[in-house]
Amino acid sequence: MKRIKHFRMRDFGLTLSLSVFVSALVIVGCGQVEEAIDAEDSETSEIDDDLEVVELPPIVVAEGDGLPDELPSDLEWLTNDSDPEFASPDAIQGGTFRTTMSTFPLTLRLVGPDSNGSFTGYLRYNNFGPVSFHPRTRRAIPAIATHWAFGSDGRSIYYRINPKARWSDGEPVTSDDFIFAVQFMRSEQIVAPWYNNYYTDRIRDVKAYDEYTYGVQGADAKPMDEMHYNYGFSPKPRHFHVMSNKWVEQYNWSPDPTTGPYHVGEVSKGKYIDLDRTENWWANDERFYRNRFNPARIRIKVIRDVNTAWQHFLKAELDTFGLVLPDFWHDKAQGEEFDNGYIRKFWLYNQLPQPSTGMFMNTNEPMLSERDVRYGIAHALNFERVINTILRGDYERLPTFQLGFGDYDNNTIKPRTYDLDKAAEYFQRAGFTERDDTGILVRDGQRLSFIVSYGQSHHTDRLVILKEEAKKAGLELELQLLDGSAAFKKQQEKKHQISWGGWASQGLSPRYWEHFHSDNAKRTQTNNITAWADPAMDELIMQFRGSSDRAERIELAHVLERMVHDSGVMVPSFQVPYTREAAWRWIRVPQHIGTPTTGSIFNTQANSAGIFSSGGLFWIDTEIKEETLEAKRNGDSFGAATIVQNDFRTKI
Amino acid sequence: MSVLNLNPQTIKQLKRFRSIKRGYWSAILLAVLLALCLVAELLVNSRALMVSYEGELYFPTYTAMNPGSTFGLEYAYETNYRELREKFEGEDEGNWVLMPPVPYNAFENDLRIGSYPPAAPSFEDQHYLGTDTTGRDIVARLVYGFRIAIAFSGLLLTFNYVAGIIIGCAMGYFGGAFDLLFQRVIEIWSNIPFLYVIMIVASVVVPSFLTLVIVMAALGWMQLTWNMRTSTYKEKGREYVSAAQALGAGNVRIIGSHILPNTIAVIVTFVPFSIASGITFLTALDYLGFGLPPPTPSWGELLSQGTNQLQAPWIVTSVVVAMVIVLLMVTYVGEAIREAFDPKQFTYYE
Repeated sequence: MKRIKHFRMRDFGLTLSLSVFVSALVIVGCGQVEEAIDAEDSETSEIDDDLEVVELPPIVVAEGDGLPDELPSDLEWLTNDSDPEFASPDAIQGGTFRTTMSTFPLTLRLVGPDSNGSFTGYLRYNNFGPVSFHPRTRRAIPAIATHWAFGSDGRSIYYRINPKARWSDGEPVTSDDFIFAVQFMRSEQIVAPWYNNYYTDRIRDVKAYDEYTYGVQGADAKPMDEMHYNYGFSPKPRHFHVMSNKWVEQYNWSPDPTTGPYHVGEVSKGKYIDLDRTENWWANDERFYRNRFNPARIRIKVIRDVNTAWQHFLKAELDTFGLVLPDFWHDKAQGEEFDNGYIRKFWLYNQLPQPSTGMFMNTNEPMLSERDVRYGIAHALNFERVINTILRGDYERLPTFQLGFGDYDNNTIKPRTYDLDKAAEYFQRAGFTERDDTGILVRDGQRLSFIVSYGQSHHTDRLVILKEEAKKAGLELELQLLDGSAAFKKQQEKKHQISWGGWASQGLSPRYWEHFHSDNAKRTQTNNITAWADPAMDELIMQFRGSSDRAERIELAHVLERMVHDSGVMVPSFQVPYTREAAWRWIRVPQHIGTPTTGSIFNTQANSAGIFSSGGLFWIDTEIKEETLEAKRNGDSFGAATIVQNDFRTKI
Repeated sequence: MSVLNLNPQTIKQLKRFRSIKRGYWSAILLAVLLALCLVAELLVNSRALMVSYEGELYFPTYTAMNPGSTFGLEYAYETNYRELREKFEGEDEGNWVLMPPVPYNAFENDLRIGSYPPAAPSFEDQHYLGTDTTGRDIVARLVYGFRIAIAFSGLLLTFNYVAGIIIGCAMGYFGGAFDLLFQRVIEIWSNIPFLYVIMIVASVVVPSFLTLVIVMAALGWMQLTWNMRTSTYKEKGREYVSAAQALGAGNVRIIGSHILPNTIAVIVTFVPFSIASGITFLTALDYLGFGLPPPTPSWGELLSQGTNQLQAPWIVTSVVVAMVIVLLMVTYVGEAIREAFDPKQFTYYE
């Protein structure tokens, strides 16, 4: 599967600076947003004139696919009621949590044009699927479904819905909502080709057996956990959607009811959006959901500039603020609010899948097809110097291509480090022995010089240091800063020499087929941007893909990861195995602050990293709030508080 | 025409120019700065001016790079002359290194363990204006950035003026359909939003020095056409043009040797302002990130760093002060030229 959809030049944790970039663009267009919204309202009457309501076709099943008509009798129904709870019983419900987004969303739809903005995350994770994953054990836990069972064909899965489950408008969640979800996602009215394709190509059948039991059949056999992740899609409320040729316009500003703890409340276009806690939410007393999602309301204000947002935070108009960026953590988070402990700083190490960031070498290029040259380059890149200077020792070296998948990680791999002798040795082996007038190595008049293309302007600082240090090894790196989409296009067409960037990682296990299988090496528009093709690796990759045995897959992943390392086509750069945030003193957190899979401590949503149910653990204490504001007026101090949580730090 | 053979009119204008002190001194200062810029490698550079090693003299500034092994060091990459100087001073064996006043180039990162860039100005480290966010010397970035900006501005001016003068003169001289056609072309062309074009170009190709000049010239040549058209039109009606025509001079000759010299005042008065706007444009583009590719030294890039790093005020102060001074001087020169070339100087209409 091509996962272009999930690609972004991932800026591990640096969403702050990204939002600066986004907001810079939006300043140009902000007037237009409001106009568009007004136009939308006034056009409603016109829309009604040529509205054609569409009846969605029933689920079409291809030959060779299909679930049995009767629920198989030999199913073994599984659940999880034994894994430990991770929320704090001390949590207090209530209060308004104030946070920020850099742009106002262009729509409140979950799919269709313009629906992939940052705000969609709030809505998407409030739409529970049948199961979620435990943030510590990484095993499946009930969400909408209480029980699940796996079919004998290895690619079907059956779910039993919790009869208590309700949409936020009070309607019960039934099997039919899951059938509708597939019909909906396959329909052309939603104008979402990626979803159309996914729900046709990957989800092959869905069937209701009674009001609260349904089955799903996927395209491939997978290990059990992966089946949940790939085929355990969220329901869609059939009672809410009237499908028509105008669906996209009609539902632009009418958000779906949710199955999660919050639903969209007041919307002030261009200014803020409220998410209100659903009253008597059905999962309030469920094992893994009690004592969570504590604020009664979440107000998400539009603040376009990150520095402005920072000022709002210091004035206590926002409750929390992300401090992953070194200059925020070290320089900006200073002053009496911090010294007196009105604002507390948190540093939580986690074990989430790390984005695969670094330099990707295009092996279609003559010099880069030589292994010695690639190894030489790896030893000529001084990542340690970048980390210890401009990154202030906060980041860590990423040892290998994919990391953070628990047992799948091959922790025996050590990255190639900056070593001029080794670099010289490898370059020499490749025939680069002489230096030219500028100090760059040459071989028969060919200079050891490569273009490094990248799309994130704030990475220039890091690259100029690598460039200057590489010069010492006789290697020239020409930096080519492109617009983000142009950089992406260039590497997708395999026109780059060396591409600096990364792939966002998520899911339960690493991926090799898309990045290293030879099928993807020959074609353009694939994620094999190193054009790496190795028959031995192909074989193992196919074995890895087809296997539903977890132990076998783990073993294969270890071998494959080693092969990636040996190929030298990718030089891993940095990892940020933690989150850093600041919060006013009245925002309270459980004893452990978070979980090993907590991506953001003050995540109001159920999930982080797309799957782990680790959000919504904090709460607001109004008494402490009054006490703190009083102390602030009087200048009293509680003592500076910087809390570092090392428990979940991976030891290598 | 030799310098000594100036016509009385020009001599008068030069005298007048000299008498405007502000502009005159600005012009001299600018000229000195430009001259220094051309030899910036001798003043601001990580390469030594002179090295005396074991009785032999080396002048590394403009030569091929000298690997460390040349001076008895153990590495094959380019010698770090600052370290070499310290080493020689420590050894006291008669070897010495003469460094330029600012011993850094515009690209190297002077990163020290235990301190994080940007570093504040320090005479001890010879970072007279401090360093930027990756530890590069700000003086070096300013000087080399200035050289690039001036070269850019000069080249852009040449393109714009050649096109502007030819088309403007032709419009004024030939008039009629040609004039009408170009008037409309220019009106339409002027409405192309300049910044968007640059943004689009920057998203497709990496803007190099030359592509930027070409794009900006393509969108900027119209400025001078209107003025040239008007003055040519005016001159064309004069008797000396009719005389030349009567004598059988061709169009090119009339425009080139008769009309153009009489419109030179218009052109000359615009030059300094065009230079200033060229510098500002490049700075603005670099500031927005659509300018020259990194790590090219540039004022705009420094400005953008500085505004993001207000806790390191030396970055933004240095570049703003430098910009203000240069632009002020250029403007003073422009003012003085305009006044010197003003024909109405001693004419009073009642």
